[in-house]
Amino acid sequence: MKTFKTGGIHPPESKFTENTPVELMPVPKELAISLNQHLGKPAKPVVKAGSEVKKGELIGEADGFISANVHASTSGKVKSVKPHPHPGGHYAMTVFITPDGQDEWAEGLNTDPVDWHGFSKEDIIGKIKNAGIVGMGGAGFPTNVKLAPPPDKKIDTIILNGAECEPFLTADHRLMLESPEEIVEGLNIITSLFGGEARAYIGIESNKKDAIETLTRHASSKGIEVVSLKTKYPQGAEKQLINAITGRTIEPGELPFDKGCLVQNIATAVAVYEAVCKNKPLVDRVVTVSGLEIGKPKNIRALVGTSFRDISLFCGNLKESTNQIISGGPMMGKAVYTLDVPIIKTTSGMLFINNVGIEKARERTCIRCGKCVDVCPQGLAPWLLANVAQLREFDEIQLLGLANCTECGSCTYVCPSKRELVHWIKYAKALVNNRQKRKSA
Amino acid sequence: MISEAFIPAVASLGSVALTLGLIIFYVSKKFHVEEDPMVTILNDILPGVNCGACGYPSCGQFAEVLVETKDSSMTCPVGGTDLAEKLGDTLGITMAEPKPITAVVLCQGDNDTARETAEYLGIQDCWAATQTYVGPKQCRYSCVGLGSCIAFCDFGAMRLENGLIIIDKDRCTGCEACIPACPTGVIVMQEKKAERYVIACNSHDKGAATKKACDAGCIACQKCVKVCDDDAIVIENFLAKIIQEKCTSCGKCIEVCPTKVNCILLEEDLKEAKQKKAS
Amino acid sequence: MESVNLKVSNAPFVRSKDSIESVMYNVALALAPATVMSVYLFGMRALVLTVVCILSCIAFEWLMDKARNKPNSCLDGSALVTGLLLALNVPANLPLWMVVTGSFIAIVATKHVFGGLGYNVFNPALVARVFLLISFPAAMTSWPMPAPFSFDMMVDMETGASPLGILKTDGVQAALASLSLMDGFYGTMTGSLGETSALALLAGAVWLWYKKYITMYIPLTIMGSVFLFTGLFHLIDPGTYASPAFHMVTGGLILGAFFMATDMVTSPLSIRGQLLFGLGCGLLTAVIRLWGGYPEGISFAILIMNSFVPLIDRWDLNDRKAENNKKPEKP
Repeated sequence: MKTFKTGGIHPPESKFTENTPVELMPVPKELAISLNQHLGKPAKPVVKAGSEVKKGELIGEADGFISANVHASTSGKVKSVKPHPHPGGHYAMTVFITPDGQDEWAEGLNTDPVDWHGFSKEDIIGKIKNAGIVGMGGAGFPTNVKLAPPPDKKIDTIILNGAECEPFLTADHRLMLESPEEIVEGLNIITSLFGGEARAYIGIESNKKDAIETLTRHASSKGIEVVSLKTKYPQGAEKQLINAITGRTIEPGELPFDKGCLVQNIATAVAVYEAVCKNKPLVDRVVTVSGLEIGKPKNIRALVGTSFRDISLFCGNLKESTNQIISGGPMMGKAVYTLDVPIIKTTSGMLFINNVGIEKARERTCIRCGKCVDVCPQGLAPWLLANVAQLREFDEIQLLGLANCTECGSCTYVCPSKRELVHWIKYAKALVNNRQKRKSA
Repeated sequence: MISEAFIPAVASLGSVALTLGLIIFYVSKKFHVEEDPMVTILNDILPGVNCGACGYPSCGQFAEVLVETKDSSMTCPVGGTDLAEKLGDTLGITMAEPKPITAVVLCQGDNDTARETAEYLGIQDCWAATQTYVGPKQCRYSCVGLGSCIAFCDFGAMRLENGLIIIDKDRCTGCEACIPACPTGVIVMQEKKAERYVIACNSHDKGAATKKACDAGCIACQKCVKVCDDDAIVIENFLAKIIQEKCTSCGKCIEVCPTKVNCILLEEDLKEAKQKKAS
Repeated sequence: MESVNLKVSNAPFVRSKDSIESVMYNVALALAPATVMSVYLFGMRALVLTVVCILSCIAFEWLMDKARNKPNSCLDGSALVTGLLLALNVPANLPLWMVVTGSFIAIVATKHVFGGLGYNVFNPALVARVFLLISFPAAMTSWPMPAPFSFDMMVDMETGASPLGILKTDGVQAALASLSLMDGFYGTMTGSLGETSALALLAGAVWLWYKKYITMYIPLTIMGSVFLFTGLFHLIDPGTYASPAFHMVTGGLILGAFFMATDMVTSPLSIRGQLLFGLGCGLLTAVIRLWGGYPEGISFAILIMNSFVPLIDRWDLNDRKAENNKKPEKP
């Protein structure tokens, strides 16, 4: 079975919701749609308090090249546009919409599917851009930019990321079981942008046998190879996925297109299909609500902008013993400090946990056991990076491969001394960036 | 009893030591760096902290440049007026007096007044906290309260009290080392005057949001602006700011400020200001 | 539902069950077979010595934590492991006050003086052993003969030289006569508490390797290089040099290679570094055994290589992934 060469760990999978079909969550009483749901500059608001909007109407315009449009998730009235907590931890400009209960689409949107084969490449990229599609695996990179790499970079491999290696998360798994045709069609659309030479793959971890079987049935006739990957974290990381499927290594400083590869998340492929064939902007997504502290763990399809609070109530309410609420997966997600944060386009999971270790967690000295070096998928020495970061040696740390850390968390998972390795590395990266910004300013 | 081996041992080791000593003596003389004796004298007078406030990386360099250029506008904020006099006497020129400045924390949100987000259990460092989320306090402009700046102060002028940094103006020498140490930029330099008024808040949130986040925040209600006869207060981006050149320290603005803990700060300690308001 | 008390920390939010304690106690468990074997071979005295050694190590650790105002970690398992290793390195009839002195050197002078757990450069148990060897050479080299199940508390223990000692003083023939290789493997020969039974030690080492707490790069490289080096000279002159198999089972080679050289804090972290470290230890051990003044060389070899470990880590981690290195931007 294929896998990536260096490092990796096997945390408990905890896929409690893998057999729970996706449940549609009804429109909540209020939506808080963040204008910052992607990498790059936040969208500029094009509505203000009092504006009436229809479902799918543009409420935020992409600001610059690396940015994305934001749309109203339902029909209603804009209550206000103001800063509000964001699941990433900080504040972002947010459009508050009070739904009118009609859930009415704007004209021309969410049509019946049409055949895309007649569309030109520019048409397709334009539709993707207008629909505000971003990478739904978590990074949120604007898809229209990713699908238009520099002309000198030839793409010969397109990979759909169905690995979903994070514990608890099953959103992509259910999507693969319930919408395989849309996934395959989305992949075909993406592949068509790169001429006939590109080979298409769908990478799925071996713990999702039913998904592998379903997609193989739908995909093999279309020339798409479904690859079963060894279940190992972080198989779903872009560089590791490319290495496992193609054997190529993305060197430090390189991007996938430098080695002719392009990776997209499964949900993004579905969103691409819907944008191109049905004129549907990105206004909802599948979220896995799980953890031991939520009443009814399930996979839901929720509107972008639904608050964590509303979702927790829809899923049987959270228990009093909850002491952490995670947006995303437990390895790379963010702990939110209030239930009033909304979900955004990249929120793949919502976990309610009682993290017993967190109270006692006291960083102890590095005993140089070497486990972090063994498991690092990027071949780094996390113990050294963390020690140097703690000493605030920000010149030296750049020589030790700081920029190549993907912050996957494998090192921190295994450390017996409970050192916050990833946090020290993130801290060092932030301070190095800060210094460079001040020097160039 | 001196054994036979004693004399040869002493003689051989002794001569080795003597030879090495002579070599060291010769080398120290041959490679001696000529230093202007005046520079040495000045180095003794200077504080020797190497804080960089004067604009030079070390006290030694400050001394060298001063001896070379005899530039009377060069000042050492750490040494203050006394040092300026001594330097002037030694060099025979009148040195400019450094303007006494102190660092001030533009925040009064301690654990009692600022509302908490959630208990922060990551690396206890202000940069690490703000990198993770908005911080332990709801106000994103506040003093984070984890004390990362304290290590930067060579003069022990900073302390963490109840989740807020307090700067001792008597110990602060104005070296400005703490300013880049703060991730939210709440520390600014202010001239040391007998009665200095400054709006001790950094929040650019609108009034309602500020009130929600902290009891001691400036809500930009403009009462102070209206009552000031000298037009010394302006509102910039939902935050009041006192123009120091125009301020006459009359104190009218303090009396009308409605926030529970007065966010206009006197030079006195925070406790004293609270007592005054209470009485 | 506002009664939930949320905490914010950084990802990842799940951690493995490992802790410093689990690592250390597993190492102690791996040393258990050798300890049991030592009690079998040398009787109750061995047990008393081991217990005294462990307790004094833990006591010194507690004292040092108090003196340095640090949170008390005397039961985290590191003092236990140091005590156990030190006990396995000394003869069963060593006076107890010497054992306590050894504990002092190991915990206070080698570990805490450098900063405590994780900061020491040299292996504490080895430094203590070498200290005792140099300070009390007679007591440290009179090895009791094995007396299975004996309750003799050293009153009149029969002593003799270890096989390596005989090799140094009386030559190859005498050494070979004193020992059958099977004895060497099972441990029915004279030596320190721990160095006798290769079988027991190897069993423990395999457990540690299975739990992924040690890698096999260092021990196998040490064994391999000792084997090759002594083998080479044995081929050249069998009359003067003993066979490599003899060298493998005698002395503390297996104890040293699998438990002392692989001590996490004092060994390199990268594969290349570990291979170099192992090679250095092996060659030095062989050289000291063949031509040095002391019959046993592994302790000194490991200590000498320990001093190079910080350099090996810096060299290797800077170069290994050369593409990971990036020049910082000029200010």
